[in-house]
Amino acid sequence: MVRLSKWLLKAGTGVNKTLSEILVCPLSKQALRVCEEPPSLISDSIGVSFPMKDGIPCLVPTDGKILDTDDTMKHDNAADDSANNK
Amino acid sequence: MHSLQFSVPLLPTSRFKRHSVRCASDRQQLFNRIAPVYDNLNDLLSLGQHRIWKRMAVSWSGAKTGDSLLDLCCGSGDLTFFMSEKAGADGKVIGLDFSKEQLSIASSRQYLLSKACYNNIEWVEGDALDLPFSNGYFDAITMGYGLRNVVDKRRAMQEMFRVLKPDSRVSILDFNKSMQPFTALFQEWMIDNVVVPTATVYGLAKEYQYLKTSIDDFLTGKELEKLALDAGFSYARHYEIGGGLMGNLVAAR
Repeated sequence: MVRLSKWLLKAGTGVNKTLSEILVCPLSKQALRVCEEPPSLISDSIGVSFPMKDGIPCLVPTDGKILDTDDTMKHDNAADDSANNK
Repeated sequence: MHSLQFSVPLLPTSRFKRHSVRCASDRQQLFNRIAPVYDNLNDLLSLGQHRIWKRMAVSWSGAKTGDSLLDLCCGSGDLTFFMSEKAGADGKVIGLDFSKEQLSIASSRQYLLSKACYNNIEWVEGDALDLPFSNGYFDAITMGYGLRNVVDKRRAMQEMFRVLKPDSRVSILDFNKSMQPFTALFQEWMIDNVVVPTATVYGLAKEYQYLKTSIDDFLTGKELEKLALDAGFSYARHYEIGGGLMGNLVAAR
């Protein structure tokens, strides 16, 4: 039961913290920033967002989506809200 | 939001006499299609021998307790699980593949097999030609039946070299492109008369016909050793196993 819960939790939510420390942007090789909603990894160095699906980071370069300014602000606001609520 | 699109160069159709699985996208789709029967076919076609070859590959990698390990082109995770047993609870293993379907199966197997040490595994969808890891991170790397399928083998070797720690090893298992006429003939006979007919039963004849083309296009043991040395490895040795049908390249940084 504990094992199932842990697996479901991982599948449903965002990035495992240890994993987010290991991974870098596949193109720039710079650090990635975690975004909880939607679960994704942001490469600020090139302005690209890589999705998480079922707990698995999708870091094939063609999985990336270029963030335009509005999306960058939304991701930043979400990160700021999260920081303020702690 | 705009998607990142990388254009695949168009090749003149007059060069092809048969369908070729040329670009990375074609190969990705192929591995997505065979994912549901991949493990069963491996067992059937190698009479279970593939597990022995994979254990040998892991031994050659030098993986040990507490290590940070990478299994490239992990597919459904066979090598990743063996690496996980080596790394233990204090180690970490990343299984990377570009096929979502294969990773989904790997992740399900991790849950179903439920060995405690498998908690040290993380799955990542990624490209062997653009690894999402910083320089010098891993203590050992394995790659099983993957190098033959990447579109740029030189670049794949360079990326493996980049993410390896100094004095560490990569162990690459694959079909052997034999220079012995009898072995090459036997290998071709096996594919034509055993592999493809078996795959046909599963509706995957075309996908497994790709195997013969990919071995034809692959490098010999000597060429693989040179590829590794050109990428910067200080030592490279190719071992023939499985009666010469399979080969394992071991390269040290």
